[in-house]
Amino acid sequence: MFTLAIKDLKLFFADKRAMILGFAVPIALITLFAFAFGGVGGEKEMARPRRLLVADDDGSLGSKKIIDQLDSLPEFRVKRMQRDSAEMRVKKGDEAAVLIFHEGFSDSLDAGNKPPVEFKYDASKEAEIAILQGALTGKLMAMIGGKSMLKNALANFDRQYPDMDSASRAQIHAQIASDMGGGQSQQKQESFIRTTSLIAEEENSPGLIHAVAGTAIMMLLFAVIAMGASILEEKQEGTLKRLLYSPLPPNQILFGKMISANIISTLQLTVMFLFAKFAFGLDIFSHIIPLLFMILASAYACASFGMLIASFAKTRQQVQSMSTLIVLIMSCFGGSMIPTFAMPEFMQKMSVFTVNYWSIQGFYDIFWRKLDWVDPTFLTRLAVLFLIGTVMNVIAVQLFKKNALKIA
Amino acid sequence: MISVSNLRKKYDAAEALKGISFEIQKGEFFGLLGPNGAGKTTTISILSTIVEPSQGEISIAGFDLKKNPTACKKNIGVVPQEIALYNDLSAFDNLLFWGSLYQVPVEVLKKRIDEMLHLFGLYERRNEKIKTYSGGMKRRINIAAALLHQPQIIFMDEPTVGIDPQSRNLIYEVIAKLHQEGMTFVYTTHYMEEAERFCDRIGIMDNGQIIAQGTLEELKSLSKIDETIVVSFSNLDDVLFQQLATTHNSIVREDGVVRFLSSDAKADLSTVILECNRIGLSITHIDIQGVNLETIFLSLTGKQLRD
Ligand SMILES: Nc1ncnc2c1ncn2[C@@H]1O[C@H](COP(=O)(O)OP(=O)(O)OP(=O)(O)O)[C@@H](O)[C@H]1O
Ligand SMILES: [Mg+2]
Repeated sequence: MFTLAIKDLKLFFADKRAMILGFAVPIALITLFAFAFGGVGGEKEMARPRRLLVADDDGSLGSKKIIDQLDSLPEFRVKRMQRDSAEMRVKKGDEAAVLIFHEGFSDSLDAGNKPPVEFKYDASKEAEIAILQGALTGKLMAMIGGKSMLKNALANFDRQYPDMDSASRAQIHAQIASDMGGGQSQQKQESFIRTTSLIAEEENSPGLIHAVAGTAIMMLLFAVIAMGASILEEKQEGTLKRLLYSPLPPNQILFGKMISANIISTLQLTVMFLFAKFAFGLDIFSHIIPLLFMILASAYACASFGMLIASFAKTRQQVQSMSTLIVLIMSCFGGSMIPTFAMPEFMQKMSVFTVNYWSIQGFYDIFWRKLDWVDPTFLTRLAVLFLIGTVMNVIAVQLFKKNALKIA
Repeated sequence: MISVSNLRKKYDAAEALKGISFEIQKGEFFGLLGPNGAGKTTTISILSTIVEPSQGEISIAGFDLKKNPTACKKNIGVVPQEIALYNDLSAFDNLLFWGSLYQVPVEVLKKRIDEMLHLFGLYERRNEKIKTYSGGMKRRINIAAALLHQPQIIFMDEPTVGIDPQSRNLIYEVIAKLHQEGMTFVYTTHYMEEAERFCDRIGIMDNGQIIAQGTLEELKSLSKIDETIVVSFSNLDDVLFQQLATTHNSIVREDGVVRFLSSDAKADLSTVILECNRIGLSITHIDIQGVNLETIFLSLTGKQLRD
């Protein structure tokens, strides 16, 4: 079994093309994306509606009305949720932010005071936050900001001129209201939305993490499919036959492949993160334990994925023509190219079915959310990766036994 | 050493083996001779446990193939019809890998590899990648890879197809040596010269069946042919040959030469000459020879062994 793996490793390192694809290309891409995503915050706003998580602690008619108004805007699709669970989701990285209407919102609005609205967010989702916040501030200001200012102004006016007759008062009130409309007032106003990052910002730029994790996983998928396909190649070349002549149990031929695929995957990911460390200063050494776990889990899941894809095919050529498409689609859904939060909702829902998603989120956990490896969120990601990997392995072994390992 | 009885193999479309049986004694050199598609490779694949038979009993080195495939595998070495080596590894690394699958201790293995490389005349090139080798050299390593665990039995499936005379002769020498040392051979070929040269016994296969088996002498007596009249012509072409074939059903054409199979050459000679003259073939040379496997095969099947 290990003899097989060693042979595969020898073959891998003898194959210049595999080496270039496995190491040089991903390094080049990571570099490219690291620069491209460096200024992630400057992304342009997109026209389609963004999901907005809203927690209504106030629960009053006033807050409800504002939330309904937000929901009716084309820019947002509001999702109402309990504050605790909403904050939890942000912390876990499932949502970018939550808009909280604190208790007393209606009252302070009526009283013309600064209403307690809070925007809590995950700073690793810089780009999305910037877009959401930008859109939100404007709209909310228009809805409540103007109203409270007007109330303030009218109240001040009434206090200054308590003796005015009601007809003149109504006339002047109308005058003030129209003066303050039109929106110029917004510019003068300070944003009253309190913003709180639920996750601390730090030196590892999310763009960099995304570039490294996303690209490394995507390129790894290409590499592992090629490794899985090498079983088919061995069949075509006749060496599989010779393996089967030997007393080696057929299962071990597959295990040998898996071992070598896992070793090469682990190596590849390790090299990528080392590169990120030395080229871009990604702080890998202070998170070394969770990082190692995540590398192993990702390598395992990816290697299994490669085996699975190869086990479906009949020839190496088939795998090659399928693999590009499959990897690109999966990487796209899984957030290897565009971060998941920047995708339409249906794609975000699909992303959990990809290896990429769990790995990339795992790497975010490490470098951004700074979770320790015992953190349940992080452990969940590890578990999911191992589970996905094992399921894929089992299916792959069955299929290989049925197809590739059968000479006739 | 090997016993096969009523072996059948059905593929989806056709029946590749239609119930073949044979016995091979220890140290015997058994040849399976037959044209393309006869079922030689299928037989070898089943004996080497990588293809499951549809029916039949097989025992190898005293082990039942179905019940104890691993024990069977340990006792056999298989030289596949295609070259089955890793092109990107050196000859030495290839041999090291293939040998290690049989759990030969590394030190012993390395010694044997060196011996093999010397035996096959490739020691100097042992560290070069297989892909830089010529077809003949690859064939040699292809054979060496099957011998490292020193099996009692060796299966060779057309090990000399399409190679240069030098490699072929080297391989013949090795085969002769191994045979002399007492190794049991199952050897498939469609070169009758090889079969005649090495085989103690031969099974003639056609269309999924062994149509005759025995020593060369036994086969000769079986075929009811004693002699062939070998006639050379100066103007042989397809049309004239076809005309000849309509009157004589046991003829073989080999580059400008036609063999007429006969149980009594002297009696048939005049008919042959007359017939040739009648259709306008001009004879340049006539010879009377004994039978060989080619003509035996022809007389048994009405077909030529080679295309
Ligand atoms: N995997 C397979 N699936 C279906 N049919 C097969 C398969 N392998 C062989 N056959 C068929 O079985 C028959 C015997 O094939 P086999 O390879 O055993 O012949 P052979 O005697 O080795 O021929 P050759 O001299 O060309 O090597 C052929 O008709 C072939 O088409
Ligand atoms: Mg064959």
